[in-house]
Amino acid sequence: MNTNLKYMSLAIFIAAAIVGCKKDKNEDVLNPQPPSNEEEVITTMILSFNGLTGAGDKELRFTDADGDGGGAPIFDLDTLQATANYNVSIILLNETASPADTISNEVLDEGVDHQFFFQPTGTNITFTYADADGNGRPIGLQTTAVTGAASVGTLKVTLRHQPDKSGTGVSGGDITNAGGETDIEVIFPMVIE
Amino acid sequence: MPVRFLRLLFPILCCCAAAWAHAQPVCDLVLSGRVIDNHDRQPLSYAEVYVPALGKGAVADQEGRFVLAELCPGPLIVRVSHLGCAPVMRTIQLLDDVVMEIKLEHHAEELKEFEVLQQRPDEHVGQANKELDKASMEKDAGRSMGEMLARIPGVSSLQSGPTISKTVIHGLSGNRILTLNQGIRQEDQQWGTEHAPNLDPLSSDRITVVKGAASVQYGSDALGGVIITEPVELPRERGVSGEVRGMGMLNSRGVGGNALLQGGVGGIPGLGWRVQGSGRYLGDSEAPGYVLSNTGVREGGASASVGYRDHRWNASAYYSYFTRDLGILRASHIGNLTDLNNAIESGTPWYVGDFTYAIASPRQQVQHHLIKADGGYAISERDRIVLTYGYQADDRQEYDIRRGGRSDIPALDLFLTTHTADAVLNHWAGKHIHGKVGVSGVYQENVNVPGTGVRPLLPNYRKQSGGVFLLEHLPLSPNVELEAGARIEATQLDVAKYTFDNVLITPQHRFTNSAFTIGANWSVKDSVRLRFNVGSAYRPPHVSELYSEGLHHGAAAIERGDAALSSERSLKGTADLEALWFGGRLRTDLTLYADRIDHYIYLRPDGVELTVRGAFPVFQYVATDVFLYGVDATVQLKLAQHFSLRNRTSLVRGRDLAQDEWLFQMPSDRMENALLFELSQVGKWSAIECAATSQVVFAQSRIPVGLDFTLPPDSYNLIGLSASATRTLGKNEMRIGLQANNLFNTTYRDYMDRFRYYADARGTDLTLWIRYSFGKR
Repeated sequence: MNTNLKYMSLAIFIAAAIVGCKKDKNEDVLNPQPPSNEEEVITTMILSFNGLTGAGDKELRFTDADGDGGGAPIFDLDTLQATANYNVSIILLNETASPADTISNEVLDEGVDHQFFFQPTGTNITFTYADADGNGRPIGLQTTAVTGAASVGTLKVTLRHQPDKSGTGVSGGDITNAGGETDIEVIFPMVIE
Repeated sequence: MPVRFLRLLFPILCCCAAAWAHAQPVCDLVLSGRVIDNHDRQPLSYAEVYVPALGKGAVADQEGRFVLAELCPGPLIVRVSHLGCAPVMRTIQLLDDVVMEIKLEHHAEELKEFEVLQQRPDEHVGQANKELDKASMEKDAGRSMGEMLARIPGVSSLQSGPTISKTVIHGLSGNRILTLNQGIRQEDQQWGTEHAPNLDPLSSDRITVVKGAASVQYGSDALGGVIITEPVELPRERGVSGEVRGMGMLNSRGVGGNALLQGGVGGIPGLGWRVQGSGRYLGDSEAPGYVLSNTGVREGGASASVGYRDHRWNASAYYSYFTRDLGILRASHIGNLTDLNNAIESGTPWYVGDFTYAIASPRQQVQHHLIKADGGYAISERDRIVLTYGYQADDRQEYDIRRGGRSDIPALDLFLTTHTADAVLNHWAGKHIHGKVGVSGVYQENVNVPGTGVRPLLPNYRKQSGGVFLLEHLPLSPNVELEAGARIEATQLDVAKYTFDNVLITPQHRFTNSAFTIGANWSVKDSVRLRFNVGSAYRPPHVSELYSEGLHHGAAAIERGDAALSSERSLKGTADLEALWFGGRLRTDLTLYADRIDHYIYLRPDGVELTVRGAFPVFQYVATDVFLYGVDATVQLKLAQHFSLRNRTSLVRGRDLAQDEWLFQMPSDRMENALLFELSQVGKWSAIECAATSQVVFAQSRIPVGLDFTLPPDSYNLIGLSASATRTLGKNEMRIGLQANNLFNTTYRDYMDRFRYYADARGTDLTLWIRYSFGKR
């Protein structure tokens, strides 16, 4: 049994030696580079209402400074004027990068694969597409909006990736047959007075 | 479509019918007996008894007993071999059933060395364990390992569409089961439900599934069971042999193949080598009504080994490479909960394209390397020391659908390296007690390769663990063998993670765990064997459970880890009864089990969180205590000459004890009924097997309230047909087979498929395979 013990300690030694043979990459494992900026994160969505015929410029802003998860998003909301016309542009920003990346440019570049949809609930506002992708179909980064009587409710803005733009009603702004997958879905509280 | 399938199936039916019609002589004799050591009359477990003329054989059980049935009257040449023994040829005049004793010259040290090297199943005293032999694997050769293993009662698979399949043993999967590939713990990011095992099942000849808690023998994670891929013994005599196999799969329009070449080296007895390679190339799978777009697979594997052994020394080296590139069902990639609800309501995938072999994002690319070296030395007549070292490198890239041309930049890029080392002393204490004592260590590093442009899902970490174990066997009588053992293991985990504010934190965790096992094998009589085992197992929480934080796209959920979680601890009891009744006409195999897991870690819904994509459900990793229990049964009844009926049933129940609730994602009740036809010889064809199977999977009615997005899918019944036969060509042989799954193109979804929200499962599938084996084995 004595010899057994001797060989066993030899075995333990060899095993320990093997386990001890670490790579030089150790430092990297527990001291990694800071994560690169989240390139596709949308931290900020701005609906910029450019008032026509005397209505002032207004803005609806959604900000989730640390992206998905983490802290809760915040809204900064202006009140829109009743019975007014606006030119509306959507600006998407990634403010984790410095300077901030304008993600809406990527959406514009891939306009064929993207489309915004606007669904007001309780608010008297209608949107009409004012831009077109390479196939002559709307993207929705540029729209015109017409407000009606004073009202309070919400506006749901959805960005679909790879929607079926030839689907019934889709190019007219109806999301029902759009399909695709959702990149953005923000419900803005909205007041028109 | 169905017409085409029927036309292809016609040959199966014809060949079975023809084989039956030709079966003139009455071939229902049985040759049985025992293989024992010539010197001490000890049984030679797992000796091979082979009839070369019929291409038919049997492997003896642990007590050396074997049964060869359906033999024709007349002279019969039998070849009996065992590891460490010279093969023996016997000629027997078979007029009636024969029971015989076969003695072999045997060298005990060599047998033990092999036991340790190959983790032979006789190591599992008392543990219910089931094997998938080469013949069974061959029938499913075109499919993944998960799909192959799901044929075993008690084993099912957790799928993510048709391309990703993870094995579930008694309701547990992922990090709760352990895979030993060539004796080395497989480390390939198995925590992810969409991460299939990165190994080639065809690189081994046999896969054993141990269905008990087995941390004593194998260390952490062996809660539900262990999957052991076992290599064949390297040849030791001069001469080259090999095989080539090719297969074609109709659904997915895929092809596959593998080749193996092995031999001994002339002039150096004991030196042998083997090289092997395999590959699969599949396009999109098809459900009954539509193409499952982006479900192609490319897979390749190669391995080489060389080994030497003599009476004192043995040493071997093994290397394998595995690569897989697979597409993930396009329609399963969704943006938010609205999309998920739309998918569930519409009942059809939102994206269906034309059939293609091309793989687009979302997709996964993995490469896995394994290097293994081992050596053994007999320090005395009966005691032997064995050292084993393994190195694995697992390289995983996952590509998502991204804006701005980033779809070709991996969204997840992980490099996992693992060193494992064991030193084991196989020893005898006195005349009867024998066992092993050993130390084992694991050193692992997980690195996020920079450049993904995405916050890492899984942080960098370093894991180090070391353990000591003792496992002893005590034969109480010729019919009863006891086993008892214990292990203690310490694990240190260092994590490096950037918080949301980009501050680096490096927390350290330490876990100390212990496990025990007690088992017994009892051969009540020749035809009845009982196995009992009570064993414990443990699993330190995985880094993903401790530190996940973020959006899981495939699951449309935000997942949050909990750094305060501690180890899972399982206590599992199994009882296994194998018996032959009515002179072998009825065979029953029954496994009962009960498994209590303390501190079982799972995801519990925890409110919703608003993001730019809308509201997401939040899931928090929490711990609870659970109780799982169930039954696996196989009953096979010989109906008439050549015909038998077989039923395989698996039932599993899982309860969350703290919540007094059913567990999520437990396999539902399932049952396979098969009519089998077997014929040993017709003309030049031998080992003819045909089967018609009905696989019934019942709807899962035991579900937790409010955890799932929709109700479990309905019950379904899939009909399958298969036929295979061997043709001897001189010294060589050719085996050919045809297998049809889901014959009637049944539309179904399975509760255990994570993509059941998005699309139906695969429709009719037909596989044709052919193997050519040459040289002596």
